[in-house]
Amino acid sequence: MTLLPGRIATVFGGRRWRSLAPLAVLIVLCILIAIANPNFIELRNLVRLANSAAVPLTLAMGLTFIILMGSIDLSVEGTLSVSAMVVVLLAANDSNGNDYGWWAVLAAIASGTIMGLISGLVQTTLRIPSFMATLGMWFIGLGLSVYMLGGSAIRLNDASIRDLALHRFLGLPLAVWVAIGAFLLAAVIQYYTRLGRHILAIGGDEDVTKLSGVNVTRVRITAFALAGFFFGISGVLAAAQLGQSHAVIGDGRLFAAVTAVVVGGTALTGGEGGVVNTLIGVLIVTVLANGMILLGISPYVQQTVQGLMIIAAVALSLDRVRLRIVK
Amino acid sequence: MKDRNSLTLSGNVSRRTLVLGATAGVAALAMPKVLRAQEKPTLVTSIRSLSNPYHAVWKTGAEAYAKWAGLEHVTLVSEGNSEKGIADIKAMLAKTNGNMVLNSDPNDTPDARPIVEACAKAGAYVVTQWNKPADLHPKDFNPNYVSHIEFDGIASGKTIAEILFKTIGGKGGIVALGGLISTTAAIERKKGLDAALAANPDIKLLDFQVANWKSTEAFDLMGNLLTRFGDDIKGIWAANDDMGSGALEALRAENLAGKVPIVGVDGIKTAVDAVRTGEFACTVTSDPFWQGGMGLAIGYNAKIGKFDPTKEPPEHREFYGKAVLISHDNVEEYYKTNVESKPEIDWNDLWGRVTGAIRT
Repeated sequence: MTLLPGRIATVFGGRRWRSLAPLAVLIVLCILIAIANPNFIELRNLVRLANSAAVPLTLAMGLTFIILMGSIDLSVEGTLSVSAMVVVLLAANDSNGNDYGWWAVLAAIASGTIMGLISGLVQTTLRIPSFMATLGMWFIGLGLSVYMLGGSAIRLNDASIRDLALHRFLGLPLAVWVAIGAFLLAAVIQYYTRLGRHILAIGGDEDVTKLSGVNVTRVRITAFALAGFFFGISGVLAAAQLGQSHAVIGDGRLFAAVTAVVVGGTALTGGEGGVVNTLIGVLIVTVLANGMILLGISPYVQQTVQGLMIIAAVALSLDRVRLRIVK
Repeated sequence: MKDRNSLTLSGNVSRRTLVLGATAGVAALAMPKVLRAQEKPTLVTSIRSLSNPYHAVWKTGAEAYAKWAGLEHVTLVSEGNSEKGIADIKAMLAKTNGNMVLNSDPNDTPDARPIVEACAKAGAYVVTQWNKPADLHPKDFNPNYVSHIEFDGIASGKTIAEILFKTIGGKGGIVALGGLISTTAAIERKKGLDAALAANPDIKLLDFQVANWKSTEAFDLMGNLLTRFGDDIKGIWAANDDMGSGALEALRAENLAGKVPIVGVDGIKTAVDAVRTGEFACTVTSDPFWQGGMGLAIGYNAKIGKFDPTKEPPEHREFYGKAVLISHDNVEEYYKTNVESKPEIDWNDLWGRVTGAIRT
């Protein structure tokens, strides 16, 4: 068993130069933006970058496992809004008298995990494709938070939970440390546990994996619950950052997370890539958004630039010649 | 395997139950229809979603009016889907036999035409708000299309900009956060900002960015703008309060909350609270509570013949409503009457908030 740094090195410098492409894109992007606006490499900006990457990174960690299996989890926004709703309603808030402090955070993460678990169970026991199963969970989650929040935005008044966004340790907001922790946890799961290897194997070839005696159903359910766990954490972070929760707190996060995972070089077909790729993908997307503001690119063309970057990054990171079929 | 079999079986049972249930449901719907025809009209509210604070308050206002008038009230939610919005309204028209008053915030501009046509055909009375095509006029559907109400986005954008400029002492740099580029409200509010900027040459617009009405996007955007302009940012103009509150949290993360004033539009609770603490300089609201109740009131009074729509002046058929400004000066009173308790509105004062006919 190789050590984690060794694994990372393999991803970066090993077998195929193409796996380096996302990192190269990130570095080139940083250099270009820094030349155009030196403020970019200011410490304050790097902290801001880390801060805005915290929620997408935690989310994308969960999603990576699902995409590695060759499945998709569309419930990102629903699960995130349920988790944010739970934490806000159970901690001190301006709508009811609850004040359970950090128990609220635990409950929120648990609710995310349960949502993921249900997605996994629905998918495996009812034999519904993950696309439809998680689409359903997305709307269930969204509906639940609309109902519980009564359609309005509810403020989070618990100072210790808000400290996740406002308090700093070694110059970085606590949310960033949580996100780093989530990344390390995901990396350990992927590279050092049987679950991680089974997930990768299912993405590579599910039939072969099954024939080798792996309980595919159990791995799938666990993977979806794991994803829900990460979504739950990001829901708490999002609520802490915004200091409030409303049902649409997750709006746009699904697309951003999928983009980050794919731009990082994880194949949507599964079996290729991993959480290190996703880390780079998240950084590319965040740096790009930050850079476009620093360069003063008009909001009217920003989306176009984003689209071009996504196509470029994916084109660079996958060996197109090897693909026999493109659909 | 055994599990799966039992699940399939339960699927069969529930399908049969479903058919039985549906039959019973249709029968139940059909019965009271005959009775309802002679009854008082049903009040119907059609809005986009209940997941945003704005429409949630709209619904409270509608319910408050229905209670005051002693009428039955139904809320239809389109969930941002135009087809669903129109289909639900047609279903209600069929169910009530046209004996209804509709107050609609059409999901999209083109939706207003089929909605109005369906209502006119069924003999129902309709008031639309915010969205309608420029060539669709209440006077062309007399008497059923009673009124169309909008709020002057240019005036709102300009008012809050002027208050922001005054708060920062008439000079310095500001950044602006706009709404979804293609929407009328976003375009108009920006026009208002531009007009205010033209009149105040000492104020410099450092950058105009789009956060698509969302606090989450505004949060990330504001962090990036702080990097680019740093302390040059003296004030923040946001095209709605939700984006303003996202920007506020980004400021808070940098210990700048309260030092850089923010202005917004909508008057959501977070913004009202922020005006109280001085973190927002002001917000302006179209008063969704009034919109939800008064839209129904205007339609209902036309329906029961309290006034004849065909005889009303043009500025009662298509008009801008009066927006309510919430600033440091009146926030405590607004909080008492609108947040801590439900607002008291004189539902007989149908035209009290008319500020003029809509520009064409």
